[in-house]
Amino acid sequence: MQWFDDFFERKARQVARMTSRRNAMARLGRALLGASVLFPVLPFDRSPQAAPSGHGGGGAHPPAGGHGGAGGGDVNDDTTCEYWRYCALDGFLCTCCGGSISQCPAGTEISKVTWVGTCQNPNDNKAYLISYNDCCGVSACGRCMCNYNIGERPAYRMGVHNDVNWCMGNKANSYHCTVAVALGVSEARPG
Amino acid sequence: MQTAKRCGLAMMLMAGAWAAQATQPTAMPEEITVGKLPPANPYRLYVSDVAISHIVDGRMHIVDGETLKYTGMIGTGFTGLATLSPDRSEIYVATTYLAKLNRGTRTDQVDVYDAQTLTIKAEISIPPKHAQALPYKGTIAVTPDGRFIVVQNATPASSLAVVDRKAEKFVTEIPTPGCWGILPAQSVANRFTTICGDGTLLTVTLGADGKPTDQQRSERLFDPDKDPVFSQTENDGDTYHFLSFHGQILSANLGGAVASLGAPWSLLGADDQKDGWRPGGYQPFAMSKDNGRLYVAMHPAGAEGSHKNPAKEIWAFDVKSKQRVERVEGNNAVALAVSRGANPMLFAIDPLSAGLINYSTTPKLAVGKRVDGFGEAPILIETH
Repeated sequence: MQWFDDFFERKARQVARMTSRRNAMARLGRALLGASVLFPVLPFDRSPQAAPSGHGGGGAHPPAGGHGGAGGGDVNDDTTCEYWRYCALDGFLCTCCGGSISQCPAGTEISKVTWVGTCQNPNDNKAYLISYNDCCGVSACGRCMCNYNIGERPAYRMGVHNDVNWCMGNKANSYHCTVAVALGVSEARPG
Repeated sequence: MQTAKRCGLAMMLMAGAWAAQATQPTAMPEEITVGKLPPANPYRLYVSDVAISHIVDGRMHIVDGETLKYTGMIGTGFTGLATLSPDRSEIYVATTYLAKLNRGTRTDQVDVYDAQTLTIKAEISIPPKHAQALPYKGTIAVTPDGRFIVVQNATPASSLAVVDRKAEKFVTEIPTPGCWGILPAQSVANRFTTICGDGTLLTVTLGADGKPTDQQRSERLFDPDKDPVFSQTENDGDTYHFLSFHGQILSANLGGAVASLGAPWSLLGADDQKDGWRPGGYQPFAMSKDNGRLYVAMHPAGAEGSHKNPAKEIWAFDVKSKQRVERVEGNNAVALAVSRGANPMLFAIDPLSAGLINYSTTPKLAVGKRVDGFGEAPILIETH
């Protein structure tokens, strides 16, 4: 599988360079939180009347900078969609499901394969390569659904695609939640 | 005044009679029966719902698109990818079943349903590799003669599974590294094309037995680093249209052994570009070959990462003249589909409410009905 790893590494770095060049990290794809259990997966600019009762907050427009903010979350609170590492995360936050930013909840398995994003840390203004591992083998968590797509691409660029089940390579095959592990500072300059 | 009173009395009496009818069974014991769908028409919708909060239990909603009345459901398993046969008599679902619901032995198969009775007709085993993806259009497709069903695989390495509908057997797996989706040629059987991550198109030709006899790569259709295309496509015969993140329409003729590329054109005028209008969604455009219009879900102030954002407006283009001819409110659409045949009707999914909205297209594009609550996370519409 070395070719495969190399492929993903290369693609990830390409996307990192591209997103940096476009200053994308500071711009933001508008918000998409799906905190409501009814309409997960789907990105939307939450309107006041659609403000959810569930986790994720409300607010119609993201603040300047960062990757989001429509949910009114804190870029340093890893239980909100606006946490800085979640710029390309589409799924349930493991931090709301008994796990942590780098720990799968008890009883699950860590996905063997992952997709990556390149997210800007507003605290040091550096871009980080983030691995989004799914946690697998337990019923879908159903809490804290988030959906951001900075640097995300269709499945012909699989390594940066977030609309597949990354538990696909595991024996315990079902999807539970997603962690966001920092792999390192991206070679790209922050945007 | 007297007339009004009489009218009111008459209406009350009628209402009373209806109430009695509804509450008093005419014959007992009543008989329980199993229904069928209403007769098919071009406005019947097949809506795929990934049901992510219980993703092992996805479903397809079957809806009368004119009235937006709910008419039936099939279970689509874990990340089921669904489409219809070319004659619209069957629904195919490539899916996974886990022996222990969330774990255990993985069984992948293509389920074949009768599109009128919604009963299962066949179950065809395939290798346990079907793409456990959101149900994007093009992740499962059928050759125009109805013979071969082709399924996108991901392990995550990409390959395609070819299934013989007639023999009810898996035929072969074709590796397609770095490529995604199945776009069948329409003028010939046994040929389809897939979109590759280097911006080219790979065309695969099958022999009579369903095994590949030829694979050819096109010139580069798009630059994936500068302006990627959505994986969804729309076609009129062999002419397929691709939509780019930045609002270009690209086209290719997929009838030959190698795809031949057409000239690109832009959806955006100078003002549109200034306002940052971009297409977005999971099924962001729909084309009617019957009225020659292309409908696109558009949002303003687009940026990196906004490519799945819901629509502020829906724009209609005349494909021949490449001009925008209409624009209407978008109803937060993330998926668009248009009926086939005369008097086309446009349909949209609003993810905020799991709603379906229909639009008339004649004499002008206009919002019609809306009904909310079609499942949980519907993201794909196929029309009958």
